Amino acid sequence: MASSVGTAHQRLGASHAPPLRRLFRQLREPGGVEIFIGGGILAVLVIATVLAPLLVSQDPNAIDALRVLGPPNHAHPFGSDAEGRDVLVRILYSYRVSLSVAVGSTLAAMALSVPLGLLAGYAGGWTDTLLMRPVDSLQAFPALLLAIALIAIIGPGSIVVLLSIAIVHSPILARVIRASVLITREQPYVISARARGRSALGIMFLHVLPNSLGPTLAQASILTAFAIQFQAALSFVGLGTQPPTPELGLMLYDGRDVFTIAPWVEIYPGLALAIAALGFILLGNGISRRLEAGRQR
Amino acid sequence: MSTRVGFVLRRVLLTIPVLFAMSIFVFLMIRLVPGDPVQTMLGIYATPDRVATIRSELGFDRPLTDQYLMWIGNALHGNLGQDFISHVPLTDLLAQRLPVTLELTALSMILALGLGIPLGVVGAVGPRWAVVFADLLVVGGVSIPSFWLGIMLVLLFAGVLHVLPPAGYVPITTDVLENLRYMILPVLALGAAQLVYILRTTKAAMLTVLGSPYVIFLRAKGISERRIVFVHALRNAAIPIVTVVGIQFGALLGGAIIIESLFAVPGVGQLVVNAIFQRNYPVVQGGVLVIAVIFILVNLTTDLIYGALDPRISGTS
Repeated sequence: MASSVGTAHQRLGASHAPPLRRLFRQLREPGGVEIFIGGGILAVLVIATVLAPLLVSQDPNAIDALRVLGPPNHAHPFGSDAEGRDVLVRILYSYRVSLSVAVGSTLAAMALSVPLGLLAGYAGGWTDTLLMRPVDSLQAFPALLLAIALIAIIGPGSIVVLLSIAIVHSPILARVIRASVLITREQPYVISARARGRSALGIMFLHVLPNSLGPTLAQASILTAFAIQFQAALSFVGLGTQPPTPELGLMLYDGRDVFTIAPWVEIYPGLALAIAALGFILLGNGISRRLEAGRQR
Repeated sequence: MSTRVGFVLRRVLLTIPVLFAMSIFVFLMIRLVPGDPVQTMLGIYATPDRVATIRSELGFDRPLTDQYLMWIGNALHGNLGQDFISHVPLTDLLAQRLPVTLELTALSMILALGLGIPLGVVGAVGPRWAVVFADLLVVGGVSIPSFWLGIMLVLLFAGVLHVLPPAGYVPITTDVLENLRYMILPVLALGAAQLVYILRTTKAAMLTVLGSPYVIFLRAKGISERRIVFVHALRNAAIPIVTVVGIQFGALLGGAIIIESLFAVPGVGQLVVNAIFQRNYPVVQGGVLVIAVIFILVNLTTDLIYGALDPRISGTS
């Protein structure tokens, strides 16, 4: 009893600790620094792109004939592109498409794969085989090729790209969630819930799912980073987002003929892509490091 | 021995349903195009007569099962149909294009293995700075998109230093050295990301193996650390590396599509992307089919190799 009072007290104390000290404590946890930096990068990007109209006054599609391929200067820190459009302004607006398509594709992939992996892993046996075999055969295609095949059928565009990436990433997520469900379903609390006569559906969604989601979230974050690159790559060959929507891959596509005389049209959008991907990679790595430390404890 | 034969046989047989499922998807590809695929291919100005001719040429006027059986039968006999714009048989087109893509992917994989494995070993057992360097290389390499890396390489080596061509291709049969000179930048761009995966896998596998009891036993026996790392540990770390090579080969084939477009390398990827813009569906279909078949066969080969490397997998012990 005394010890439980003690821990409760300590816990209370922890929540009353100065925010800075709490932050340092969090940072010292495994994966803390990665989660902090990755999450920080993403928070800054989201805020910047949402507040873009307040941060910069120009329109991302505003053409300025006097600033064609203008080098970076004080007013245009990242220079201008072949149509005189401000590169920094376009990057800020580009994140809207890039981040929404990437995050959207991951959410769509999770909506497809989580119920599938959960059911396959929890039910096992024939259900498992029946559900997972078709999923596996999707992986018989190189991911980018499958996306390109889907685009060839439906036609290019942001929504098609979002769905293609979701379809390509679903089998990976389904595998990950199924693997953690296989472990979770053997845990004592699941067995005891079953013994108490809870319905299979209740056990799956109330006990198994919340305790199996960790690795899936870590993987989902990494896949979102790939989705950002994927989408940009598709736009870069003209199969993704269509002009004049500002999008990072499209900016790189537009600049491919002029970058030897105006390198800024390719350098900054590419760096912007890499930074966004880095944010999701660090976040995903941090989450999985923390989960691993939790398992070893 | 018989269990090993059984493993090989089972694995080969398991490939058949995968190939079948893939062939159905590729077959349906053209038929799933919204609206009338033939009309889409020919454009809105095509006369109804011409649409009808092409439709019967492609066999679209027959039942779906007949169409599939005809298509797959022809494909198995090496007849993939023809480019509907230039009327060149697809088999000829692919025979020209495929070696280029295979050279690009093979060289990229060689680069990735040649640098990734040593760097992975150093990242596992090297001094502190080397470990940090390897970790930074992994995070950086995964974050940077390969086509942007390609652009930056062109900027540096072709734009600033003027030592390598920015794009283009010389057939290996014309001039081997010139072919390689044109291949350097595409291979670097495509191989860099794979290098990072090989590095990460090698490092993780080495750390796992070096912490296992048998390595402690080898150390206790007084075997030199160098011998433990390079002879004993690396051999066991090879299994996950082979697996990753198989999986990453798919990423290479996919990535090649983008890199070929960037560097104007006339491979299958560039063929497919251009065909999409021309709505040249038979070419898209043929290209996708060939790349997918190669990927499935590479996966089969890597599975068989690691079955041979690790007797536990093939169930011989």
